Amino acid sequence: MMPGHIVRFAVALVAFAILARLPVGLDGAFQFDAALALIWAFGILSIVLLTGYAGQVSLCQATFAGVGAYGAGMVVASLHGGYLLGIVVGVLFAMALGVLVGLPALRLHGITLAIVTLGIALVFDKYVFQDHLFDWFTGGTAGWQVANASILGIKVDYSKHLLAAYDILLALFCITAVLMVNLHQSGAGRRFRAIRDSEVAASTMGVNLTRYKLLAFAMSAGIAGLGGSFYPLIAGSVSPQPFWVFTSLQLAAIGVLMGVRYVPAAALGGLFMAVVPDVLTRYGHGAFMGRVYDISNDWFQIALGLLLIAQLILLPDGVWGDLRNHAARIRSALPGAARKQVRPA
Amino acid sequence: MTMLRVRDLGVRFGGLVALNNVSLDLNRGEILGLIGPNGAGKTTLFNCISGLTPPTEGSILFEGRSLRFAPPHERARRGIARTFQNLQLWESMTVLENLEVPMDAVVGRRNTFSDALGLPLSHYAERAASERARAILHVLELDGYGSRLAGDLPAGIQRRVELGRALAMRPKLVLLDEPAAGLDAGETERLASLLRTVRDRFHVSMLLVDHDMSLVMRVCDYIYVLDFGKVLARGRPADVRSDRKVIAAYLGEATPELAEPAEEAPVVVAAEGPKRLKAPPTNGHGPPSNEAPLLEVSGLAAGYGHLEVIRDVNLVVRPGEVVACIGANGAGKTTTLRAISGVIHARSGSVLFDGHKITGSSPESIARTGLAHIPEGRGLFPTMSVEDTLRLATDSTGARVKLEAAYEVFPRLKQRRHQAVGTLSGGEQQMVAMARAILARPRLLMIDEMSQGLAPTIVRQLFQMIDVFRQQGTAVLLVEQFVESALAVADRAYVFEHGTIAHEAAAEELRRDRNLISGSYLGSTATETAAIEVAANGNGHKPHPELMEIVSMRVPAEIKRALEERADLEGRPVGALALELLEEVKQ
Repeated sequence: MMPGHIVRFAVALVAFAILARLPVGLDGAFQFDAALALIWAFGILSIVLLTGYAGQVSLCQATFAGVGAYGAGMVVASLHGGYLLGIVVGVLFAMALGVLVGLPALRLHGITLAIVTLGIALVFDKYVFQDHLFDWFTGGTAGWQVANASILGIKVDYSKHLLAAYDILLALFCITAVLMVNLHQSGAGRRFRAIRDSEVAASTMGVNLTRYKLLAFAMSAGIAGLGGSFYPLIAGSVSPQPFWVFTSLQLAAIGVLMGVRYVPAAALGGLFMAVVPDVLTRYGHGAFMGRVYDISNDWFQIALGLLLIAQLILLPDGVWGDLRNHAARIRSALPGAARKQVRPA
Repeated sequence: MTMLRVRDLGVRFGGLVALNNVSLDLNRGEILGLIGPNGAGKTTLFNCISGLTPPTEGSILFEGRSLRFAPPHERARRGIARTFQNLQLWESMTVLENLEVPMDAVVGRRNTFSDALGLPLSHYAERAASERARAILHVLELDGYGSRLAGDLPAGIQRRVELGRALAMRPKLVLLDEPAAGLDAGETERLASLLRTVRDRFHVSMLLVDHDMSLVMRVCDYIYVLDFGKVLARGRPADVRSDRKVIAAYLGEATPELAEPAEEAPVVVAAEGPKRLKAPPTNGHGPPSNEAPLLEVSGLAAGYGHLEVIRDVNLVVRPGEVVACIGANGAGKTTTLRAISGVIHARSGSVLFDGHKITGSSPESIARTGLAHIPEGRGLFPTMSVEDTLRLATDSTGARVKLEAAYEVFPRLKQRRHQAVGTLSGGEQQMVAMARAILARPRLLMIDEMSQGLAPTIVRQLFQMIDVFRQQGTAVLLVEQFVESALAVADRAYVFEHGTIAHEAAAEELRRDRNLISGSYLGSTATETAAIEVAANGNGHKPHPELMEIVSMRVPAEIKRALEERADLEGRPVGALALELLEEVKQ
């Protein structure tokens, strides 16, 4: 192991230790939010890999998460397999879909690719997750009920024991995050970034575009699917609603907002996406100075749009990215500080 | 031995023939030059060889194997590397990372999962790659730049990094697409010696495209000239330079009485640098020069991204005067026009039009002051009819002008007024663009590459139009590749070299002194002596392509020496001898 690897591992360990204690003592709904935050964090992490590293646009990351969720639900509820097996199947399904979605990306770029992936999200939302043809996969209109599933010997009831699921998810997220940063600084990561910066140059310098684009899509879908496959565990059931088109758009928007090239931005974004709407619906109504107000979930969408505009103007590298760059600038301005190159990670 | 063999290559884009029946041979250890005017198909040929453009017909063999079904990355693996005309570095990555990508994509087999886990396998590969990358940076004198982001570097350094990246994959052949673009004279000089060093140290062959003839003439062993997608001429640098067909392709057809350079022609400026003629232009139709200048450009600098294309450009256009800008491709003529008309921002310097400062104004407000710019490629809307195009022009000036004014000058357009512009011939399209411009009643008309890609008869008609403009009192600033025709119509001319104005003279004088112009296009005579020195490399030996082959096969030094001795005795080239021996061994 190189020194960099040890540092990253240590940072992840500390982060795990702190974050694991965070939802302790909160009420059940907030514990659910905390677990959901991690699922969306996986979704944004998949965008960091695909868009931030490899420069490919995708507006169907929630679909990958949904496929992961349904795959896991199917194995557990319909085939009576263990939850671990469910996760594996969910991830594999998502990766297979990722490769399929990656095929048009071999020819398309930018806005056209965005529209094609948006189309895929729409098709899956309407004609897979909600169509009787795929009842074997989706469990019909009722979805899969997986209450009382157990994982690693821990029985997770979606209303209790949410913390156990949260810890497992958090551990997985920390590991994945470290692997992602490792990847960024290694050969494969450089090839992804080369494709992002100039495809023409990458191909003439020996990078197999077909292989690495498909790999990026497969890995990204796998990461999104890994998060999604935990959804039945924490929610007790799967339904199409959390994985519809708009979630995909939200994931992309929040990914850009937080800094699409940075791994920690995924954690920030997940938290933002799960907690803020819930807080708004819960506490966003009442009376203030004699006037009744109601800031419901709808306001979240509007606020997200405004924030995105503000970010693109004020923080072009995303919230995390610009914080990082500012911190680095301050550090290098301090007397005696050695000048260090700012590298995205 | 032929390393790259191109046979009867043809490329068509729809109806456009980009390459037609091109055949070319490149020997091992050779630096082959590829030159030709704009649109001659040089970059297309590069793209065919590196696999970005599939050829319509013909074949490309590299080391005896066809490249037909090899995708770009496979060609890279076989040993073909390239650089790009418009820098294609991975800008958000460090210089070192830029070199490491081709290194482990081509040379090292690595595993994505061991990379992500940081296993020892990846660790060692990583260290080896970065050490090799540092070694290459050292040879290219880029030692301090390893951890800088490639996108932050100036263009000259980026060009060197691109060369380093190409070398990082241990290529056998490097395709260099305009490595000197955007470099000044001194940097070009350094690049030339660098290319020779690279050839000798890395044992690579090169195919070089550049518009800077001083570089091509100095570095290349052999030159192919392309024009309109065909091989126009080939030969050693000195032969190519004196080839009539080549000069004609670059400068346009010379009129017979001007073809012979006049003996006593006053040389305006020698090699020592820019000098301005204050004397009034001597040709008859020139307006008096004491008039206040209509356009006055001083100290103008502009560029794109990290490229500074023009610097310290000073020029003056007086009312009713026709001024030509000539010079090799990439010398900064088009950029100068763009900076004047506000299409790109000037980085420094000022542009005065009719006494008012217009630097920094928006293009449309500059156009409204009476300065019209017909860009290269004409800037027309292909689906719009001729009449609509012209009407649009008159509308945008506010005042409605009768289209008849334009039809009077270009009667042919009246016949075609309902036809879509895109269906017209190139010459007619140029007429539409010019008609549109004069309808706005400009006081200065800037025309960029008016005759590009057009047949000579049409070009003659267009140049007659310029005379018409002059009679109407419109000043014209021309950027033109057909130097002869441009000088015939112009009062004065500016000669661009390396992004700045090298000479200024009355058109008449330049016409008499063809040496000066062909010098700035085809490399000046001053560099001829340098070319001879170059033929011998650092250790005083002329590089033999065959010998390079032996060298690259890692023959022990004693054997090499023995070969050289025997070659001296028999008075034959070493390579021939070595190949003969090889044949014997094989049998």
